Amino acid sequence: MADARRNLGLAAWVWLAIAALAIFELVAHPIIRAARPSDESWQAAAAFVRAQYQPSDRIVGAPAWVGPIVRSELGDLLSLRMAAPPDTAGIDRVWELSIRGAASRDEPPTLEQEFDGVHVRMWSLPGDELIYDFVEEISGAKVELVRADRSKACPWVAARQAPGGLERGPMTPGERFVCDPRRPWLWVGATIVADLELRPRRCIWQHPAGPDPVRVTFTDVPLGDRLLIRGGIDYQAERRRVHAPVTLRVFINDRMAAELVHEDGDGWSGLEIDTSELPRDPAIVRFETTADDPTSRLFCWSASSVRSHLPGGDRDE
Amino acid sequence: MNDARALNRRDHLVGAALCIGYLLLLTATASDLAMSRDESFYVHAAKNAANWMSQILADPSTALERESIDRAWRYNWEHPAWMKLSFAWSWLAQKHLGLFPTESLAFRFPGMLTGALLIWLIYAWGASVMRREGAIFAALAFASMPRVFYHSHLACFDIPIAFFVTLTAYAYWRSLADLRWVPWLGLSFGLALATKHNSWILPGIFLIHFVWIRRDQVRSGRSERASIAWLPSMLLLGPLVLIGTWPWLWHDTARRLLAYASFHLRHVHYTYEYLGINYFEPPLPISVPFVMTLFTVSLTVLALCLVGLYDRRAALRPPSLTKPDAQSNRRTEVLWLGCLLAPLLVIALPSSPIFGGTKHWMTAYPFLALFAGLGFLAVAERAEISSWMGRRWPTWAFAALCLMPAAFETAHSHPFGLSHYTPLAGGVPGAADLGMNRQFWGFTTGSLGDWIAEKLPNGGSVWTCDTTHGSWAMMQRDGLIPSNIRAEASMSAADLVLVHHEAHFAEVDYQAWVAFGSVQPVYVLRYDGVPIISVYKNRARPAR
Repeated sequence: MADARRNLGLAAWVWLAIAALAIFELVAHPIIRAARPSDESWQAAAAFVRAQYQPSDRIVGAPAWVGPIVRSELGDLLSLRMAAPPDTAGIDRVWELSIRGAASRDEPPTLEQEFDGVHVRMWSLPGDELIYDFVEEISGAKVELVRADRSKACPWVAARQAPGGLERGPMTPGERFVCDPRRPWLWVGATIVADLELRPRRCIWQHPAGPDPVRVTFTDVPLGDRLLIRGGIDYQAERRRVHAPVTLRVFINDRMAAELVHEDGDGWSGLEIDTSELPRDPAIVRFETTADDPTSRLFCWSASSVRSHLPGGDRDE
Repeated sequence: MNDARALNRRDHLVGAALCIGYLLLLTATASDLAMSRDESFYVHAAKNAANWMSQILADPSTALERESIDRAWRYNWEHPAWMKLSFAWSWLAQKHLGLFPTESLAFRFPGMLTGALLIWLIYAWGASVMRREGAIFAALAFASMPRVFYHSHLACFDIPIAFFVTLTAYAYWRSLADLRWVPWLGLSFGLALATKHNSWILPGIFLIHFVWIRRDQVRSGRSERASIAWLPSMLLLGPLVLIGTWPWLWHDTARRLLAYASFHLRHVHYTYEYLGINYFEPPLPISVPFVMTLFTVSLTVLALCLVGLYDRRAALRPPSLTKPDAQSNRRTEVLWLGCLLAPLLVIALPSSPIFGGTKHWMTAYPFLALFAGLGFLAVAERAEISSWMGRRWPTWAFAALCLMPAAFETAHSHPFGLSHYTPLAGGVPGAADLGMNRQFWGFTTGSLGDWIAEKLPNGGSVWTCDTTHGSWAMMQRDGLIPSNIRAEASMSAADLVLVHHEAHFAEVDYQAWVAFGSVQPVYVLRYDGVPIISVYKNRARPAR
């Protein structure tokens, strides 16, 4: 009798727990749905940012998956460089539109405003002044395919773009240097790669052709305090970590200034060249890519000539 | 739990009502779902099969020549033929009799039928061993799983294989007590083999279960022994049905069978996002099928499943821990547990190819639902709900309360079934925070049909991302997309570009940015506030 009563008591508790679970589920779903910000909230937050926007501002969403929503509201303000920054040069402020308590930075913001579920924060992060973006200047460069002691110029042409699609690699720009039509990957131009973390990086595609270099030369480059060099291989090719390293050599006025050896798994990475001691005259800067085996070396690099106009600035890329 | 109760007319009426009700619900909601990527491949294969079947009627000797068979069956040779034949018959019926309002429904109907029959089967098996309330609960719990509901609409193999696996397990279970079921077991196993390779694990599950009950019988000292006649039936009839229904195997049989097995044992790895990591090669974490089940099946149903397992724990003990004579039945619970765990464990194996989608272990869910039915009964009976007021309605009210979350979630999940996550994951936005797979197969394009038609009133072109051109063409034939809006192969030549948001599709997003020099989508299709598709407009194209 006592056992039966005890069993009934336990069963009643289980019944209650199950009923409570069902009620929790029933209530939780509408609550989750109701917590999403309305279109009006997004629009109000976007209008607030738009009113104070400056060209050196970067705009991000948090969590990252709201990126498409933020870009649908404010994407017209974002250059490809700002949407897919290869480095932090030229970014003076970061605006963040966030929901669900997410944040892309830890430090306290300079400005903060709430729009019914959409949180706007702004950080002032004055750092490096961008004085020359090699990616944006690619059309004025000279591109050559070097073989032994000879070189062949690659013409700048308007060419058909890739169709696009999964595992098709970065999009070919409508205008680019084409080095060998028989090797359709042997072109040089500005594009965006997905790095090893699938983040976008605005960069110059310069697929190595083999041990002989593919050479890109920029003339009249204004030098500042440093050259920020970054490079990486498209996610689909780098993630398997089976292919040969790529070497990027940087020459300033015909002297090798740095060598970046990129191995699969490095992700988007790079180095800095101190140019503060070099003459202030416009320089000739040359970039050469090589690889012992060029198979699947979807290499893309960026370079920014920068002037450090303010110290500090805790920057995340 | 009974060893078995004979079903009566009322049971069959209840089962039939559940089946027909579900079938009507599926057909009524099918047009909301654009044809998915894999469906478009099976539609193509089914059309080939239909043409071949028509040729058989017109010119049988030519149709049976190797050249004709290879021409008709080479495409999609990696999947057996049974469901493709079903899709083909249904499509031929549509062509000649116009049975369905849309062409896609003709292809999908056989899959829907297996989904509806599975509901009936779950009820029937449940009602054989437990009170009807529990069996009804089990059937409805399965029907109202959001991802089951999505997959039940499709011209694919995942719900059909869940039906044939459950049917085979049922036939095996019946054959242990009644040898007249032995040939039916062979036939149903053959149909399972002829549907999908998930069926390969069934003999192993049954053997373990059989050894279990034989040990019971030996320990009890009883002279009667369960017959192993089921095994030769499966091993003989099964392959015969597989080969008999699959013309591709009628020539060069051994080599093609080996190629089929090899294809699936060395399957390509799908890219799958799980807890913030994009997996593209094994090992996928062992937790994937369990966490995905936790995040996509109603928590109440899962809890009742655990209660059911706990309630039947004595029946799940190994023979060595069971008192002789204590078990004289067929150990139904052990069989159900085997059928529940095996599909999950196969996917969890570190050596298994990466699949990820819940559909790959959906054959486990009928048994999850049956245990939930047992759990529901255990709670209702032990808590003596009915006795509180001397009526039965409190039991039914409790059942309704327990099923309501799943039903509401399923209703809300449609037509974004693969993007849906339960409150335990934080819903759809919570799952996005956690970095869970958001969709696959490109079927969500169907939710953009009206928007695209409005934006391109004079026709145009769309780069369709993960939606195949076959799926697009079916959307046009179904009337979801105007016929003057074509699928374009090249982004830069399209008026609109779609990007389906899955983690590894980020590169496609970036391709669109470069193609159009803009990062601004003109529209973002959202589900519970989470981006599903971004649409980019090609501003270089003249306005239409």
